[in-house]
Amino acid sequence: MKKNLTIALAGNPNCGKTTIFNNLTGARQKVGNWPGVTVEKKEGRLGHGDYDIKVVDLPGTYSLTPFSIEEITARDFIIDNAPDIVINIIDASNLERSLFLALQIRELGRPVLFVLNMADMAQAKGIKIDEKKLSALLDLPVVFTIGNKNKGINTLVEAAIQEVKSFNQKQSFRTIRYGNEIEGCISKIEAALRLTKIENEDVLIRWKAMKILEDDKIIKEKILAQLLEKKTDILAQVVSCRSRIYDLFQDDFEIVLTDDRYGVIAGIVKETVTNLAIKRIDISRKIDLVLTDRFFGIPVFIFFIWAMFQLTFTLGAYPMGWIETCVGFLSTGLDGMMAQSMLKSLLLDGVLAGIGSVVVFLPNILILFFCIALFEDTGYMARAAFLMDRVMHTAGLHGKSFIPMLMGFGCNVPAIMATRTLENDKDRILTILMTPFMSCSARLPVYIILAGSFFAHKAGTVIFCLYLAGIIMAILSGRILRVLLFKGEDAPFVMELPPYRMPMLKSLLIHMWDRSKMFLKKMGGVILVGSIIIWVLSSFPKNISYSRDYDTLAANRSAQYLMKIKSADKDAATKLVLARTVELKSIENQKEQERISKSYIGMIGKGLEPLFKPIGIDWRASVALVTGFVAKEVVVSTMGVLYGVGKEGGKALETALKSSGMTPLSALSMMVFVLLYVPCFATVMAIYRESSAKWACFNVVYTTMVAWSMSFLVYQAGMILLG
Amino acid sequence: MSNRHEQEKKQFKRLFQQQGVDRFDDRFQVLEAFLKLEHHVTRKDVSRQLKEDGIHLPDGFVTDSMEHLCRFGFASRVDFDSGEDVFYEHLHLGVHHDHMVCVKCSAILEFKDEALEILQKKMADAHGFYMLQHKMEIYGLCSQCMANRKTQVPLHKAKPGEKLIVKELAAGKNMQLRISSMGLKIGDPIEVVSNGFGGQVVIAAGENRLVIGSGMAQKIWVQSVDRGPALGIHDAGGIKETSHEAFMSLSQMKAGQEATIVRVSGENQLRRRLLEMGINRGAIIYVEKYAPLKDPLELVVKGYHLSLRVEEAADILVENVKTKKR
Repeated sequence: MKKNLTIALAGNPNCGKTTIFNNLTGARQKVGNWPGVTVEKKEGRLGHGDYDIKVVDLPGTYSLTPFSIEEITARDFIIDNAPDIVINIIDASNLERSLFLALQIRELGRPVLFVLNMADMAQAKGIKIDEKKLSALLDLPVVFTIGNKNKGINTLVEAAIQEVKSFNQKQSFRTIRYGNEIEGCISKIEAALRLTKIENEDVLIRWKAMKILEDDKIIKEKILAQLLEKKTDILAQVVSCRSRIYDLFQDDFEIVLTDDRYGVIAGIVKETVTNLAIKRIDISRKIDLVLTDRFFGIPVFIFFIWAMFQLTFTLGAYPMGWIETCVGFLSTGLDGMMAQSMLKSLLLDGVLAGIGSVVVFLPNILILFFCIALFEDTGYMARAAFLMDRVMHTAGLHGKSFIPMLMGFGCNVPAIMATRTLENDKDRILTILMTPFMSCSARLPVYIILAGSFFAHKAGTVIFCLYLAGIIMAILSGRILRVLLFKGEDAPFVMELPPYRMPMLKSLLIHMWDRSKMFLKKMGGVILVGSIIIWVLSSFPKNISYSRDYDTLAANRSAQYLMKIKSADKDAATKLVLARTVELKSIENQKEQERISKSYIGMIGKGLEPLFKPIGIDWRASVALVTGFVAKEVVVSTMGVLYGVGKEGGKALETALKSSGMTPLSALSMMVFVLLYVPCFATVMAIYRESSAKWACFNVVYTTMVAWSMSFLVYQAGMILLG
Repeated sequence: MSNRHEQEKKQFKRLFQQQGVDRFDDRFQVLEAFLKLEHHVTRKDVSRQLKEDGIHLPDGFVTDSMEHLCRFGFASRVDFDSGEDVFYEHLHLGVHHDHMVCVKCSAILEFKDEALEILQKKMADAHGFYMLQHKMEIYGLCSQCMANRKTQVPLHKAKPGEKLIVKELAAGKNMQLRISSMGLKIGDPIEVVSNGFGGQVVIAAGENRLVIGSGMAQKIWVQSVDRGPALGIHDAGGIKETSHEAFMSLSQMKAGQEATIVRVSGENQLRRRLLEMGINRGAIIYVEKYAPLKDPLELVVKGYHLSLRVEEAADILVENVKTKKR
């Protein structure tokens, strides 16, 4: 029988926690959400001897105050789920700041193991840590690891198991003592709480006393709810303690305690760290001399973004071609194998066409997310935020909003999920609302077809301008919404610029895969359903009265050609055969077009026509736009069907579009509309999950209004200019 | 000086006659007596001067006249924290100076320093504050009192804000143990935070605040860190060299400068976030650079890099600013 253990990993952001988590659990991990909140929860398993160990990766935080969801989540997990041990990962080259969180974790009364990670980096910086002394001072085991070289991971697990075993036999738990005045207040409240007998564990009473004194709203309410009649007494004591501290130090209890904590930490650091100061190599600083330079910083940043897009779309074009060929092959195969039936039509035109049109983008998404993971893992993302904060700030956003915004170019769904890195709720919701204006990769095929058809050589410029327009719209909307809906202070922009690190392929691949999986899930579920709905809408009703009898016409023409071919000589006959095929095909397409125009979807499109007329979009394009709500990539395939070229799209669709009466201006208007209107169904669901139904609805209405007005402006202004 | 006084007298005549203030001649005598006196004078001093000149006026009238002089801008009232008396000094339009007040002998020194004036203006500007006027008083011990002072004093006699070094623990073994268990030992630098709340002395030792009871404070002998006049004070010339101890806000620092944090103010959430990130009192920060668009800025604190917006940096007060090559 294997024994179960639960390990919680805690630590500062950028301390190498994720690397250790990956090393511990390998690919056996599960990404989900913490219950009730939008913070990502990672879990993994590993077997070690007799033990079956569950590893939970807590959100990376600098502290355990109740100011951000991440911190509350981490704290609640340690208290409520009582993991067998908390492994506190500490950046060895940055002991002083890391200990601030470490001391707070230790106060929660669970067994703690300190892991001094990146020991090699510390050594290179000339820092030597006496781990025995540190262990003795804090009364807990300390081990060294080098996460990115996978060193010390086994020792870590061994030490963790050892500490769990010995912790239960421990007689006393050494607490850290602060200044006399602070301790006086704590013991006073502690004694008062002890009398109420709401908690048995000594450690937690002390912790709760500290939290009440710190005016921690969440803990205070929890305890007060349990206290009932003794509430007023304790509250009065707390108030008197706090005012006493204020009188003495001219500052709030929590600030004084923070100062005291740093005092204790300074003592620990003094005792355990020796600075050899051999040579202080600071490679990061050297890199930053260029990357955040006053002159080069921004050009280099733009170059990186450009390179990322080049990689994504140029390199991605090859596998895209292969996938297209495969899907084509599959559909031809199915076509040949199955008899003409409703099911065949569903499979071929509904399921396969739908999935095929999405799978095609998988290479793009993979490369894009690989690049973003590369930016994140090297530490460049923080620099991007540093460079762009000024710009983002003018939009009323935080520099960190740039990261989700940037990801919005890939796919809005993970981008909206990435807003979790923002601490302030206002900033988060605002960023979530702005992100859909970032032109996601699913919108690109629409631009490619339209710009390719109508702007030929200038297609690239037009598409670039569209991306730019999206960004400008986002900034404008940000400013407007900030003033109208989110009055008040901006969140503080306090962000660590972590040292540059060599990215690890394994971690890059895991990141890339996690996010691509999200994209695939969206495709598998929502888009499949969407494709089927569209197929139903476009295939029914079945019995349409055609204006002409296409079948008879086709048969007649075919017979006429047959006659001619018979009487003609060999060369002419070949030409006639070719001409016959073309004509028959065109008759078939005409039939299909009429069928669709009389299908449900045609009716919807025609119903919406008056709305779309002022922005230069005909009924077929408007149907395509409606279907785009399911997923933007569907717009192209719908257009393919509606313009009577079948699902092949490509060159045929371009020619069909040109001959359909669409002008460059109306194409531009349509592209602007696609850029700005309602994000796809999956994005709306993501907004709903990350904020609320209210904001999801607001977003749908707001984006549509913006899109229509902008397209209207473009089309009408263009009409006037062009005469 | 006398030329200026003549001008003042002319103006006085014009103003008082225009405003129709009664007993003009008597009041003019008060002005003359006042102008004869230099520096900071009380009503009594003016009366004494009048008597010497052979003029007898009731005290109430002199006080009333002095208030009139203040109203029309010939004199200005100065209330110092130490004294009970109201002081008057000459107010020469457009001429401004600041004061140093000795808390022991109540001597008042006038000084003026352009750099300080500019700094005050700069501080006000940095907070978007439009400065109308200001009053600057430095309380302390004058050079005379400082010279007469004993080198070592018991802690309970130290003044708030004084920077000291622990010299001797004149206490029994138990008390010595208690003192050292608080982390205080001979040779430690300390700063007096407050003194007098029920005999308790609050001191800052490094990053720690300690509260020391009156009994204990009497047994801890301390010596001032910067004894002797470090700054040359001249009668009229003000302070020659500007002190490098001047406070400034972090946002005013240039790239490549290092400083010590004195205080983090501002909104509570930001303050706590900054404290958590290691920006606490006494921490040494280095301004690495400003972003290409001048905002945010990058700092090095406790060995790691951090970025802050300029407006947030304005809430952080620093001292000991010096340029440092890295």
